[in-house]
Parts: sequence; structure tokens; C-alpha cells
Amino acid sequence: MLTIEYDENNRNHRLVRSLLITIVSLVAFLALWWVVTAVMNDKNFPTPDKVFIALWELLLNGDPIGGHSVWEYIAVSLRTFLTGFLMALAVALPLGLTLGYIKPLREFTAPWIEIVRPIAPIAWAPIFVLSFGSQLGPALVVFIGIFFPLLTNIIFGVQRIDKNWLDASKTLGATQGQLFYKVVLPATVPYILNGIKVGLGVGWMCIVAAEIYNKFGGIGQYLVDMVNGGLMANAFSAIIIIAVLGLATTGVAEYVSKVVSRRMGMDA
Amino acid sequence: MSKEELVIEGEKYDPSDRVRADRTDLLYEHIPEGDPLVTVRDLNVTYRTDEKTTVAVDNISFDIRKGELVSIVGPSGCGKSTILRCISGLLQPTSGTIMIGDNKCTTAGSDRGMVFQDFALFPWRTVRKNIEFGLEIAGVPKEERAARSKRYLKAMGLEEFGESRIHELSGGMKQRVGIARAMIMHPAVILMDEPFGALDAQTRNILQESLVNVLKNSSRTIVFVTHSVDEALYLSDRIIVLSKRPATIHKIIDVTGDRPRDRTSPEFEALRKEILTYLQTQNTMYD
Repeated sequence: MLTIEYDENNRNHRLVRSLLITIVSLVAFLALWWVVTAVMNDKNFPTPDKVFIALWELLLNGDPIGGHSVWEYIAVSLRTFLTGFLMALAVALPLGLTLGYIKPLREFTAPWIEIVRPIAPIAWAPIFVLSFGSQLGPALVVFIGIFFPLLTNIIFGVQRIDKNWLDASKTLGATQGQLFYKVVLPATVPYILNGIKVGLGVGWMCIVAAEIYNKFGGIGQYLVDMVNGGLMANAFSAIIIIAVLGLATTGVAEYVSKVVSRRMGMDA
Repeated sequence: MSKEELVIEGEKYDPSDRVRADRTDLLYEHIPEGDPLVTVRDLNVTYRTDEKTTVAVDNISFDIRKGELVSIVGPSGCGKSTILRCISGLLQPTSGTIMIGDNKCTTAGSDRGMVFQDFALFPWRTVRKNIEFGLEIAGVPKEERAARSKRYLKAMGLEEFGESRIHELSGGMKQRVGIARAMIMHPAVILMDEPFGALDAQTRNILQESLVNVLKNSSRTIVFVTHSVDEALYLSDRIIVLSKRPATIHKIIDVTGDRPRDRTSPEFEALRKEILTYLQTQNTMYD
């Protein structure tokens, strides 16, 4: 009983401590931002107070040019992001499991992956929008961003499978198909979730590139419009919105990944 | 036997149903206890790399009789586990044949169950679901799986841990799960690859006793690879003593005496001395 109480206190203590560190860190970040931009005194780099006022205005009254609500922009971006994410998952999951499991196929396709992977998603943006339109085009840019970290994580996960699990399953009568569904797939779940977490982060890095060529829609297009109009405080407010969206999605992914891996007894 | 119903562990089986993957022992019912069940003939395993050719197992032949526990002992790195992996079908021998009854073994199958030194349990499954794995992939209905795994949980002293996760268990408990997972399938032969090698000395003794207890109630054919002479003497009906690599059979020793055996009896001591003395001459460490 005593030890439980001690653990509980210890846990709360640690929680308060990490919360405090986060708060102090954020305040220090704002202070640093303020000092740097104040010293620079460049209208392209607004001080935080101007940015947060612009953000407040955006949330209350919509954008300063067309008067569209911020939620319309966010909705378009979320749709683009979600489409790209689901496409990446749908392709990377079967492909990653297959390539991880079948070595000759992995060796054969490795050069393809290594050639395409280093190409920045922004390079694809004009090509995709031109070829696939302003709906699918931006989603494909996000797809490219999420796809590769997800794929490499899944391939890595399959390769890391304990060979004894496969041997044990064979001596228990498992067929190739059963090996795949009863061992390879569950054993890779923690790596799939980690790949999703990493991929979501990269995906948000691509959202501005994806939406540059949009006529309407998307927080990325809003940012580009504001920069073009010289409204830098508004542009920075869009950056904050993207950061919050990114933080929220990767935060959820990280939590799910942690909980599931622990429940599966596979948190390494 | 054909007309009567077979009752094993309280479950009734239709004798015509004897090709089921979860009851491969029924395939060899016609072989009487004590007759050869597994025959290994001229088994050779040679590893070839660009630089050199290494003979790991050199034309070994032996029989495993039905219902016996045979240990394979030998100096470290002599190829004990290689022989076991060949029997399991997980490793293809360079030459030689392995038969169970009239069936030639080529690939791995549920007729040769295996217990691994590092347990090889599935961490994403509960203890019960680990034990039921083989039944599940054999298509055994859920209720029957539950009834059968319950008996093995009990036999292995794991009743309270059915819904536990693997990482919550001690090493000794993990291997109890490993043994139950292999035994529940009633394979024709169970292959144990240094099953207690990762456990501390006390846990090891306890698990040896558990195994002896289980074998009292259920006749099994077991090939047991170990580097512990003491363990081999305590458990085995026969001990195959191998030479250093490339492995050849030095001697096959019959061990008599009902189990549980007295580890300190004079016969036990004499045999232990004989085997250990031989193994010392085969120790490659000082070559």
C-alpha cells in the first residue's frame, strides 16, 4: 500500500514537472521570437503580438480579403490531408508488408524507392495539380510526403520480426497465408503505427506546397495569398494554425501508437 | 481400434478423423510403443561458403522409439540443434532421410512440434491464445479450443494466467506456455531445443519435474537437446552422446529407472562421470 502511494505521488510529481518545463519552454520561445524580430525590425518578420492579433482577427472575422471563415480553409486542408493520408495507408500497407516479407522483391524495388524518395514533395506539386486537378493533385502531394516514411517503417518492421515466431508457427502447422495474417501482420502493427506517426508529421510539412496552386481553399493557399499581399502577420498566423493541426494529429497518433504497442506487449 | 471411440483427455475423437493437423499422433497409432517411430538415416549437413566447406553433421543414423524421451548431448557447437532442426523440417539437410513411420519429412509440419530455448511466444497474444495457436490455425472450433487449452493451463500450473500477457510471466512460466503450446497439438514427436537452457538452476529443476509429471499422464515421443548431462540423465530413456563437430554418434546410452529419478544415486553418478569424461576429451575450446 505504501509503495503504491509512493508511486502515485511520484507519478504526479513527474507529470507536474514535465508540464512546468513545457510551459516555461513555450514562454521562452515567445520571448526569443519577440527579441529576434524586434531587433531585426523587418516587416517580413512580425513580432508575436501582431501575429496573435492577426490570428484572433482571422478566427473572429475570417480572412481580410475574401471574408471566408477560417474553418472553410481548415476544412479544405483537412480533406486534402485526410485523402492523402488514406491513399498513403492503402498503398504503403500491402506494399510494405509484401516488400518486407519477400526479399528478392525488396531488393528489386529498392533502387526505385531510393530514386523517388529524395524528390521533395513540392517538386511534384505543379505536376500533380496540372495532371490531376486541384482536388486530387494537392492530396497526392501529401500522399508522397506520408507514403515514404510509412513504407520504410513497415518494411523495417517486417524485417525485424523474430525468426523464431515464424519457425514456431511452421511447426504448429501454419501455411504461408496464416504466417502472414497471424504473425507478420500483428508483429508489424507497432511499426505501422510508428510509421503513421512519422508520416503525419511529414504530411503537414507538405500542406503548403500542396495548396500553393489552389484557387480557393486550404490553409496553405491562405498563407501564400497573405505573403503575396504583404500581410506577413496574417501569413504567420496561418503557420500557427498548421503547427497546431500538426501537433494535434501527431499527438493523437503517438498516443494511439504507445497504448496499442503496450497492450500488444511490444513496447521495446 | 477402428470401431471404438477414442477418448483422449476427456475429448472424444472419431477415428476416421485421423488426418487432423491437431492430432497427427493418431496417424501412427498402429506403431506399438517402443518400436521405431522416427528414423534418421545418413543425415549430413554441410555448410558451403566461398572460402570453405564445413561439415556440421557427418552421416548420422539413429531411431527414436515411440513413447520414449531421447536426449542428444554433446560438446558446445557440435551440431545438436542442427540435427533437431533437420527433424523439424526447418532446416534442409544436405543429404540423408528422416522418416516418421512411412512418411518422409521434407518441410515443417504440425506432426513435429517444437519447443524453443528462447520460448518464441507471441507477445501480442494472451497465454491462452498462445497455447491455442496451433488449434486455431488447424480450424478447431472455439469451444473445443477453450476446453483443451484449459486442461493444458491446469497441467502446466498456469490456470490463473490464461488471460495474462507473455511479458508479465517469468522465464519458467514462459517455457511452460511453450511446452503446452507444442503438446496441445499432439504431434507425432516433440522436439525440444535446449528448452530449459535460458532458465536458472532452480527453475530448471522445477520444470524438469513438471515435464516428468506431464509424461506420466500422457505418453509422448520427445527428442530433447541439452548441454546438461544431469538434465539428460534425469529425463531420458536413452541418451545419444555426440562427438565434437562434425557430429558423429559416440555412444547411445540406455538409462533405466522409473521417473522421478534420484539425482544422487550411484548409477546416476557413474553415468554422469562417464559422459562428462568423454565430453571433456571432445572440448574444442583448447584445440
